[in-house]
Amino acid sequence: MAGEQTLDPVTFEVLKNSFITSVDQMGEQILRTCYSFVIYNHDFSSGLHDAHGECAAQGNQDIAVHVGTLHFTCKDVMRAFEGDMHEGDVFAINDPYAGGTHFSDVRLVRPIFSEGKIIAFAQSNGHWSDVGGSVPGSFDVSAKDMFREGLRITPVRLFDKGVFRKDVANLIASNTRDPASIIGDIHAQAQATQVCEREILRLVGKYGRDTVETGLSEVQDYVERAVRQRIAALPDGEWETVDFIDRDPGGGEGMIPIRIKMTIKGDKAIYDFTGSHPVIGTIYNSAFGTTFSAVAAGMKTFFPDLPLNSGFYRSFEIIVPEGSIVDAKWPVAVTGFLMPFEKIMNSIYEMWSQLMPERALACAFNLEYLLTGGRDVRSDDKPIFMFYDWLPGGWGGRNGKDGANVTTACFGTGMMAQPVEGQERANPILTTEYEILQDSAGPGKWRGGVGVRKTSLMLAAEDAVISYICDRECAIVWGIEGGLPSSPHGLTLTRAGADHEERLGTIFSDVKIGEGDLFSRPTAGGGGFGDPLDRCPAHVLEDVIDDYVSVQRAAKDYGVVIRAIDVELCEYECDAIATQALRADIRQQRVAWARTDPEGVAARFRSGEIDALDAIRQHAVILDWGTGKLLPESTRQFRETFERRSVANWAAV
Amino acid sequence: MQNLRVAVDVGGTFTDICIMDEDTGLIRIEKTASTLDPIDGIMGGVAKAGIDLTKVALFSHGTTVATNALITRRLPRTAMVSTQGFRDVIEIRRANKEDLWDVYKDVVKPYIPRRDRLTVPERIDSAGKVVETLDEAKAREVARILKKRGVEAIAVCFMNAYLNGENERRMREILLEAMPDIPVSISSQVLPEIFEHERFSTTVVNAALSPVVVSYTTRLGDRLAAEGYTRDLLLLHTGGGVMTPASVKDFAARLAGSGIAAGAIASRHIAGLCGYPNSIGLDMGGTSTDVSLAYEGQSRVTKDWYIEFGYPIRFSSIEVLTIGAGGGSLAWTDDAGSLRNGPQSAGAFPGPACYGNGNPQPTNTDANVTLGRLGTSLAGGKVTLDPALARTAVEEGVAKGFKLSTEQAADAILRVANANMSDAVRLISISRGYDPRDFALVAFGGAGGLHGVAIARELSIPVVIVPPNPGVTSALGCLLVDMQHDFSENCMVDADVAEPIGIEAQFARIEREALDRLTHEGVAERDIVLQRTIDMMYRGQWRSLAVSTPSPIGSIADLVADFHREHHREYNFRRDDAPVSFFRVNVKAIGVVPKAELAVHAPTGVRPDPVARREVWFDNQAHDTPLYQRDDLPCGFTFAGPAIVEQVDSTTVVPPGATAAVDKYLNIIIRVKG
Repeated sequence: MAGEQTLDPVTFEVLKNSFITSVDQMGEQILRTCYSFVIYNHDFSSGLHDAHGECAAQGNQDIAVHVGTLHFTCKDVMRAFEGDMHEGDVFAINDPYAGGTHFSDVRLVRPIFSEGKIIAFAQSNGHWSDVGGSVPGSFDVSAKDMFREGLRITPVRLFDKGVFRKDVANLIASNTRDPASIIGDIHAQAQATQVCEREILRLVGKYGRDTVETGLSEVQDYVERAVRQRIAALPDGEWETVDFIDRDPGGGEGMIPIRIKMTIKGDKAIYDFTGSHPVIGTIYNSAFGTTFSAVAAGMKTFFPDLPLNSGFYRSFEIIVPEGSIVDAKWPVAVTGFLMPFEKIMNSIYEMWSQLMPERALACAFNLEYLLTGGRDVRSDDKPIFMFYDWLPGGWGGRNGKDGANVTTACFGTGMMAQPVEGQERANPILTTEYEILQDSAGPGKWRGGVGVRKTSLMLAAEDAVISYICDRECAIVWGIEGGLPSSPHGLTLTRAGADHEERLGTIFSDVKIGEGDLFSRPTAGGGGFGDPLDRCPAHVLEDVIDDYVSVQRAAKDYGVVIRAIDVELCEYECDAIATQALRADIRQQRVAWARTDPEGVAARFRSGEIDALDAIRQHAVILDWGTGKLLPESTRQFRETFERRSVANWAAV
Repeated sequence: MQNLRVAVDVGGTFTDICIMDEDTGLIRIEKTASTLDPIDGIMGGVAKAGIDLTKVALFSHGTTVATNALITRRLPRTAMVSTQGFRDVIEIRRANKEDLWDVYKDVVKPYIPRRDRLTVPERIDSAGKVVETLDEAKAREVARILKKRGVEAIAVCFMNAYLNGENERRMREILLEAMPDIPVSISSQVLPEIFEHERFSTTVVNAALSPVVVSYTTRLGDRLAAEGYTRDLLLLHTGGGVMTPASVKDFAARLAGSGIAAGAIASRHIAGLCGYPNSIGLDMGGTSTDVSLAYEGQSRVTKDWYIEFGYPIRFSSIEVLTIGAGGGSLAWTDDAGSLRNGPQSAGAFPGPACYGNGNPQPTNTDANVTLGRLGTSLAGGKVTLDPALARTAVEEGVAKGFKLSTEQAADAILRVANANMSDAVRLISISRGYDPRDFALVAFGGAGGLHGVAIARELSIPVVIVPPNPGVTSALGCLLVDMQHDFSENCMVDADVAEPIGIEAQFARIEREALDRLTHEGVAERDIVLQRTIDMMYRGQWRSLAVSTPSPIGSIADLVADFHREHHREYNFRRDDAPVSFFRVNVKAIGVVPKAELAVHAPTGVRPDPVARREVWFDNQAHDTPLYQRDDLPCGFTFAGPAIVEQVDSTTVVPPGATAAVDKYLNIIIRVKG
């Protein structure tokens, strides 16, 4: 239970803000000095901890996915070096089984001493460009255990009383594909923790050690009090939902459920994952730390104004079934934990949307991560290149507002998309298309945001391979309150000289590619919010003028009949009478469409009579989008949720 | 005889006119209400001040016209033509958000909607080679459609054009054949730098603003000429210099933040005159505070800036950090019982509780009134402050909840406000490797003098300078500038293989262009100063650091040594064994405008009497405090805190323990620890 505040209001407020500023200064420093392009594009976080390892402050710009994990790794370092920590020491850890995220996220932890006593810890966490393992970038979807994934760093001393331990650092760096950068990032991160130390010691000088220590504890109480008060003001009750990962590559057809039951009771929230699937035979598993983080990040979305620290984490409890996909244990592969992570986050969006309708939000697109590596033969020494890329997509429709267009994935909205010109300079790649994808948004009264498509041509390279970490080609991004799903993810490849494209889908590893091969990745739009037949036709018209929505889909998805007058002048008109008739017609038929025989839908898809968006949005049918083969179990699962999220919310005819 | 210099700073509420007599160095201020068409306000102010424009040698101007046009989207219909497949670069941006957690808070829409973004087949590769020539038939088709739509400005933005502008230039020719009078900005000319979104965004802003600022400067220039002004109108740009209307058409985006820089320049200049080459400017107004920093006489400059998040304008800009804290910031208690201050503000209306316009919540102004630091009127009596309303607001809003006395509560409000502002100053100073103990704080704006000493003490800054006219210091900044243009080009090469001769040639080429532009603006060659910097980084790092470079550039080894030193100053570590890369070369071209000297006053030995005494609270104790009129304070006068100095546009607080002296420019110099 949160303690009462003992500090006077001014000292408290000043310390609270100064703690956050000291962490933000770490962020500033790391951004300006880092080597990893992943860190540079904002995949990092920083934390200030109290002497018990609890998190007292996180930065304003920290990535969501690290929320709620820093205190675990801080405590693990404390356990390992209890009684053996000294001024000037810096420790490293990246262990997901001890509360870390994945091996790529390496944390440096510095104890902060005052008068010989540890009063706090500063932690800098950043995603390194490579930590070894079987594929460039350390994301091998064929891994079933950690030994193919990368280097596991259990707590280790990197600076010993201020002296850099080259031997240890070199051992770590030598197990990666990018040793020079790794050493650079170690220095950048270690220095960042020193920036925080300097600020905390300044506060100690001004306010005294005891006051600062009290402050570190009371800022947590403060956040805990605030969250609990707000939860207490909500009605008690239970909410349940399920979201899916597309498949277990080692198992049969059918999606992998993650179930959550949320109970609000008094001033506490309890999340029970009972009924979630056991761990699966790929890297898409989540250890407890990241499951905890997903809940914290999802919930924090509904408390955007509160600072982040351990006080927030004390407001909820989590129950996970042993050995499930949300409680993976050593040595189960977890590098792709973001897949379950985003499912959990979106499930929490869905449940909290019912609790706080004024902040409601449909499902966002799924993160996708492309890793291509090999040798760049544009120059004579054929250097290794590592082309890692991630794309923005659409976010879910909101209550009274369309979803955000082309935004970074929900695991971290500070994450930046990369410039094509920088990528083309560094890698033998020529991008031929990087544009908004028409009709990608999930239809709704408030539609989802739009996604994009990026198509790239492989130039002269040797030993080049491509891997892809993505999801939601079956568990399509869903709408709520009667809104419709958006569109499937999945990469397609057109080999040099070939006249057709191959669908490689959302999850594959180490596929060889060569000069002249063209690969194309769409991202989904966000799910729709509310019945699309209730969308204001003028908004549909504007979307058509801007090519967000095609004339054809304006009719199919929204029942709005639009005619072009002069495309060159962007002049279109909406036929009000035809729209009324078409909307009435769709209203009559759509429930039956959503329950029609899936095999028939698959056959019509294969014959070209309907397309993927028709199959998904009108019939809630999931196919292998390459062959058109029906996925019966996935369809059954998808339809169950479609009935609940979409059909049940349509007004009776 | 042309012996007047006039500077005009147009703000949201007031138009400030600063008139300097070159012969005497004396400055006169005219303040007038801003008008819907800012030019009416300017001309009205000029008339009101009785300025004879035939006697004006220099008329300079900081304007918010461009800033406002961007924010309100009242822009001419602007189209963008880009490489096929890249229609949406300015909408995809970097895809990140400013507010990471509030999913209902969006990044604003791009300056050009998707409908007016067209594409043509063409492509340059990452080595600058044309891999696809411009499809001229398609280009003509695009030109025809844009003409039919009646667009008023066009941005041409092609991939990798920073390396080769051939296709862009051809596209511009084709567009101009169809529409000879339309401004066309091409990215390879506006900003030949890598990274498409940043370059395209800058180019789009440049194109969209061109008709806006050309029309504005032409109208203003014509009105001034009609009244007898014979010289060029000088426009303050974001980089901290001025340019003439001759450059405005092609580099309109440089005016996007005109006016933002003026305060920073004034602050730097005043501190310099007082003998402080290192200074922090604190321009505190009613709703926000602008913080800037000068080091060794140079303002800090950044290329990372924007008017609206997500749409960078990559021209060099004086770095100004704006925070939502000012006299009108509200003090409040959040739902977990913590005392907060801002960023919400009572604004100009209803304003602080003591304005009596119905706002019941306490503001910093109310706290200052409650403690006796502010009197009962502002702006020379135009605004009356009601101390009873201020006290009630502080009591109800803060004192009761925290069980504090009214004065304790007011003190708490101000301490939180000052701590927040100190945090902001820390971000621009300490976290960039500057030690505040080496700096002077220049406190200005309406509320700067009220808070300056408290903030300086919080930051261990030893000295506070309060200029003679704190409320109009920004306008003074417009008088103190040189003509200036900033040029940059990528120069991406590793230091261990870099050839000094190649870099020298690149600098020389840029400098020729710089000379041409300044000469075109009428600057004599002897008045031109060129300053070189090279942006460098450790190979593999992602951000570069600008390092001053001699001309000619000298040895690569010296440049690298300078970089290590600068990296250590800024980030507190260096890697002498790590390889270094060059990223970008920059030239700042300055056309020196002879500065008029500010009037110097001699000590008079006069010790003015306080005009009154009143009870003022400091550290929860009431002090019988003398009250001075600023106009009464002569050069050489020294006094100790506690003291309050009032003037029309501002109030200065000298708390107990601090000592103040009036210098020869009539600045009040406060030693904060006495």
